[in-house]
Amino acid sequence: MTASVPSAAPLIRITDVSKAFGGVQALAGVSFEIRPGVVHGLVGANGAGKSTLIRCLAGIGLPDSGTIEVDGVRVSISGSDDATRLGLAFIHQEMSLIPGWDVLRNMALGVRPRTRFGVIDWRSTRQRAAEVARRLGMRFGLGSPISDLSTADQWLVLIGRALMRDARMIAMDEPTASLSVEEATRLHGIVRELAAAGTAIIFVSHRLDEVSALCEDVTVFKDGRVTKRVVGAPTSKSELVRAIVGRDLEIPEHGQEAVRTGRTVLEVRDLSDGTRVQDVSLTVHEGEVVGLGGLVGAGRTELVKMIYGAERSAGGEVLLDGHRVSFRSPADAVRAGMGLVPEERRSEGLFLDRTIDFNINVATLGSLRRSRWLPLLRSAAGRRRAQSVADLVAVKAESVNVPVGSLSGGNQQKVAIARWLLETPRLLILDEPSRGVDVGARAEVHRVVRELASRGGAVLAVSSDNEELVALCDRVLVMAEGRVTGELSGAEITADRIVSLSFARGSGVGAAAEGATA
Amino acid sequence: MSTETAGPVDVAPPPGAPRPHRPASRIGLMIVSKYGTLIAMGIMIVIFGTSVPNGAFLTSNNLLNILNQSALTAIIAFGLTMVLVVGEFDLSIGYAASLAGVLVTGLLVNQGLALPVAILLTLLLGAAIGAVNGLLVTKARVNAVVATLGVGTMLIGLSYGYTAGSPIIAVPTSFTNITLGAFIGVQNPIWFMLIVLGVLWVLLNRTPLGQRIQAVGANKEAARLAGIRTDRVKVAAFVIAGVCAALTGILLASLLGSGTVSAGDGYLLDSFAAVFLGVATLRDGEFHIIGTLVGVLVVNVGFNGLSLLGTPTFWQFVFKGGILVLAVALSTVARRYAKT
Repeated sequence: MTASVPSAAPLIRITDVSKAFGGVQALAGVSFEIRPGVVHGLVGANGAGKSTLIRCLAGIGLPDSGTIEVDGVRVSISGSDDATRLGLAFIHQEMSLIPGWDVLRNMALGVRPRTRFGVIDWRSTRQRAAEVARRLGMRFGLGSPISDLSTADQWLVLIGRALMRDARMIAMDEPTASLSVEEATRLHGIVRELAAAGTAIIFVSHRLDEVSALCEDVTVFKDGRVTKRVVGAPTSKSELVRAIVGRDLEIPEHGQEAVRTGRTVLEVRDLSDGTRVQDVSLTVHEGEVVGLGGLVGAGRTELVKMIYGAERSAGGEVLLDGHRVSFRSPADAVRAGMGLVPEERRSEGLFLDRTIDFNINVATLGSLRRSRWLPLLRSAAGRRRAQSVADLVAVKAESVNVPVGSLSGGNQQKVAIARWLLETPRLLILDEPSRGVDVGARAEVHRVVRELASRGGAVLAVSSDNEELVALCDRVLVMAEGRVTGELSGAEITADRIVSLSFARGSGVGAAAEGATA
Repeated sequence: MSTETAGPVDVAPPPGAPRPHRPASRIGLMIVSKYGTLIAMGIMIVIFGTSVPNGAFLTSNNLLNILNQSALTAIIAFGLTMVLVVGEFDLSIGYAASLAGVLVTGLLVNQGLALPVAILLTLLLGAAIGAVNGLLVTKARVNAVVATLGVGTMLIGLSYGYTAGSPIIAVPTSFTNITLGAFIGVQNPIWFMLIVLGVLWVLLNRTPLGQRIQAVGANKEAARLAGIRTDRVKVAAFVIAGVCAALTGILLASLLGSGTVSAGDGYLLDSFAAVFLGVATLRDGEFHIIGTLVGVLVVNVGFNGLSLLGTPTFWQFVFKGGILVLAVALSTVARRYAKT
């Protein structure tokens, strides 16, 4: 695979690094090198191991085996302090800026020189920051509050912070994911300049056009292994897709319309939120499980939360059973017969300190009232019905009186789903239904979802696990960068097709990267 | 991207979390975290029972006396418990009680209203104060500490404005009889406390609203996504606290036989102390009604015993602050060690 001999001694050499979480092998014998002055692209599907590798470099997790060398010296990075000392800086998609502070204080975070008296030496800090700002071409003052800056300018501040710390390597995790075309182009220019000045850049991106245009070296991950290494040679998007999927594949066109018998339950027309979701249209029929595939960050969670009334939409409409609805809160959606099993099970889905009984009954307390005029709950009946739906989805627990937090991930997820089975929903939305769930529980979850559909329920399921979409769905819509890039139904639904549609060009930031080199 | 790694991390069992057996020291800490306040009360009862001269502490009269002294604090603290369960804060309750005291006496003396009408109007005032607090916190998104402190300060002003600074006296005996009377040997304030205790316990544990209050307090976002109207639930909790504060204010005015500006202000700290002491009772780390009752009783058992021993009054305040900090600190520390 190696196209040319590396021109410089590597800054970082990663040799045979492995790491497992529970039973999942997140990294299996990964080796590659990061060269100074080179933009190094890391690509791969969700869960392929890119993030795990970066976490090992950042000192967030130690590898189980294998070595990391910096400047030819073997190092053990066991904390962010170690990483900073080695000159490694990490910029994440979730910005680590303090919104109430100005640019200078954010850039100086953690690196302020002290005077003889132990007080922060603001004068030299300011001089230093001004140099960095000039270098990065910041078009805003050091005194501007962070909250006044655009996302692109906030990225500049983070890069500035890395430079203040004399970073020799800067890892950027999906820096262009939420940038406009012009902003992304500007960022690419800055990345190139940093590399030209000798800094090593790790550039994680799902935008393959951008990666092939910007990165001199590229490492492709699949299932915790490196499937392709490009060193100092041009690469094409189709080569990268092949390495990501593991074999050749044709890029499918939009799937043909299958014949449907059920009535339309949900119809979404041109729904947008102004940033992450753009003009999405879809339908879900009675008795149908429709999947939403794509990469993390493609806008699927935002889409389903808008349908559910949990987030504001900026345009488009939602029809339920042919009637236009505009939910102002999830309470309206629940009343109209919808249910949502959210992506973040522990923080958004469940009350971990509370019992299974409480968690299951909490969404439908109204039907447990003794009478219309007496707002007292029939507690025993509630416990019985909680027990019966818990049995239906095969929750493994001593009784419904144990706290949900004491259950395994799979059983927690079953409880989150069981909540909506008390009163058969018109439309059930599942966001990553089997994330963090073991194989057995996953099969149970799928069985329950299929049963719901066979009784005439409509299901919309977001999943980044393509095998799951294949196993579960009658029809799959794939999203990339906020738009639907294709629809697959029946036998057309294959993991490969979903992957290639996931990388299909969306709004055109990748095109900007290509344009910049042309 | 971080969500991508959340997958495998989620699968991994937290290191060493499920342990087959727990060492004795950990069990001891669990006991302290769950029963800390009850243990403190038990110790005090034993000490006072043996050291107060002539066994004057452990007489039925003295125990009823303690309950009677606890009643008004308990009622206002039960209401506050609802606000804390829902995950908010209310600093206006003491001032609301003061205003309720001057309003109910004013309505009786100055306006000459019938007793039930005056009481009903005053309870409505409490509900209105709670609603204003709740709407400020939910709709205007003002931090609860700031909103209720602001509202409370305005209530102080209203109390002074309404009374022009001088107490309202010469209240009808029908009003003072509310708290003077007794039923089967138990003073009326204790009955009021028991009724509010029962009503709010049922409300919190056996009604849809109570379950929703608990849900919003336990995980606001999960409650919202489960279809609960979190704003309404929060407003309801503030309204309950307002009504309880007004009831305490009315009963206090009846006991004092006058409507006095700032008479109820002290209930603010007393009720917070009680609710936080209650956290270290039975259900570790949660606010709940029974815990609050125990919290009120602990403070009053201590007060009563210390005064029977002839301890100077200033020590009683040192005791009150001390036991609050100690009980909560102990239970927090114990909980942390018991869990790890």
